[in-house]
Amino acid sequence: MNIKVDITEQREDFARLEIAGEIDAYTAPALREKTEPLSKQEGIHVVADLSDVSYMDSTGIGVFVGLFKGIKANGGHLQLIGLSDRLKRLFDITGLADIMDINSEVKGGME
Amino acid sequence: MEIQSCVSILNEWDIVAARQLGRNVAKELGFGTVDQARITTAISELARNIYLYAGEGQLCIDRLNENGKAGLRIIALDKGPGIPDIRKVMEDGFSTSGGLGAGLPGVRRLMDDFNIDSNPGEGTDIRATKWLR
Amino acid sequence: MNKQETLEAQYSKILQEYMNNQSEQALYAAQQFSRTALAKKVPPEEVISLQKNAMQQLMPDLSPEVWHSFDILLEVMTAYGFAFREHQSLLDTQKELKNEMEIASNVQDTLLGTSVPTVDGLEIGALSVPAKQMNGDYYHFVHDGDHSVNVAIADVIGKGIPAALCMSMIKYAMDSLPEYRKDPSAVLESLNRVVEQNIDDSMFITMFYGMYELRSNILHFASAGHEPGFFYRGKDKEFLDLEARGLLLGVDKNAKYKRYEQAVEVGDMVILMSDGVTECRTDEGFIERETLISYINEYIELPPQEIVNKIFRDLERLQHFQLRDDFTIIILKRTK
Repeated sequence: MNIKVDITEQREDFARLEIAGEIDAYTAPALREKTEPLSKQEGIHVVADLSDVSYMDSTGIGVFVGLFKGIKANGGHLQLIGLSDRLKRLFDITGLADIMDINSEVKGGME
Repeated sequence: MEIQSCVSILNEWDIVAARQLGRNVAKELGFGTVDQARITTAISELARNIYLYAGEGQLCIDRLNENGKAGLRIIALDKGPGIPDIRKVMEDGFSTSGGLGAGLPGVRRLMDDFNIDSNPGEGTDIRATKWLR
Repeated sequence: MNKQETLEAQYSKILQEYMNNQSEQALYAAQQFSRTALAKKVPPEEVISLQKNAMQQLMPDLSPEVWHSFDILLEVMTAYGFAFREHQSLLDTQKELKNEMEIASNVQDTLLGTSVPTVDGLEIGALSVPAKQMNGDYYHFVHDGDHSVNVAIADVIGKGIPAALCMSMIKYAMDSLPEYRKDPSAVLESLNRVVEQNIDDSMFITMFYGMYELRSNILHFASAGHEPGFFYRGKDKEFLDLEARGLLLGVDKNAKYKRYEQAVEVGDMVILMSDGVTECRTDEGFIERETLISYINEYIELPPQEIVNKIFRDLERLQHFQLRDDFTIIILKRTK
């Protein structure tokens, strides 16, 4: 059970995360710790690439909901990309796909 | 009857002096080598806490004689930041997370009696006694 | 004192025997000795002292350097003794916590207890098993006379104590909304507001709420992000997803929950579960919904309670008897 969280780009108003591995009850605290500071930045646009996430359970959903609410409260935007069908289904079932930005096209060269 | 001698703790070498003092008294009182090692380990921990967290303080050794029972008391005094939550530093596992009061529960277990008094901003007074069996 | 002397005598005897013949038997005796010593919680520095004392008896003429070397060993082992005592004390604490957990788990059972209603024409089977001691899954039945049987199944994200505490809140929130009991969407909307106000940002709850109308045999239901259940159509022997969309409880206080309907014929079944069932990990990966269907199919002729028991038993074995998540499954079957 491993997780790798890299912040590959970070500016005042933009951050890009690459997450790889499994997100479950054991790895979720590490993910939360790494992402929490981002949600405190005013008006930030965060893109999280989940292409290399092989497994995610409901605890992982919890982390992203927390992040989503935090970023939104500070006037920012969270975008999740690269979700596999399995992951996408989790967001569909939970109704989150209707309120979160999931698997949309990333605009080339963020402003 | 109490006879006290003290060592000022200002730097790491003073920890050695405090240990030496404690060992000499322990030997004189007739403690065996195992108990001597326990007493000096306790002294090390307490003196190190002073050195690391209070900056300076004193470590004193008392010879006790109560109802014919001989004992050795370690007194660690400092005027450092004090400990806001004593119950927390007396919990096992707290020392590993660093911070104030490293190893205090361990010191308590090495000795027979243990007493701690601390007020934030005023300093800390720790007393630990071992009785000769 | 006495215990010390006997230990000392034992140790000395073993050491002497080994010095004479280096036998495996003496080494085995040493191992047995350590078992006793550990049971008596003899710290490591004490063992060094035993060694030194025994050596002094057996070989009094060794050079002073050898005796000095013991001082270093003693000092080092005293530090190990420090850790050994902490370990002992942590073990005691762990035991206390375990006892407390057991009591808490009993309290939870009493708090959240629900009985499966007996209804003419509707057979019900239900089973909920926690992965750890405390259950973060929850189900609840309300039997409303001739009118309806209501069923709620919920899953708190996370396991253990935080999840269990959360569930108690949900249970009381549900108990205090009797007038809404009949309408699944109203129930979920009320609960959502309670949850949104009361829990942490990264904690939330999924819930399926169903109201089975006994006269019309229609299941009215709504879902708050809960794993979809199955509808088994007895006539065609086919499984359909009991699809319902709705947001998790606790994310958005204005969330709306759509109410769905499903007519139930004789021989049809409604199968509800928590994600501990579908997210069950096995050596070959996850249980697919199709695999789960094939398991249910195998027992389809049995009464609902037996079906849920057997499915649990099978999935438990697939996971080598280690549940990673709380597991809940409920089956309602119309029999006439």
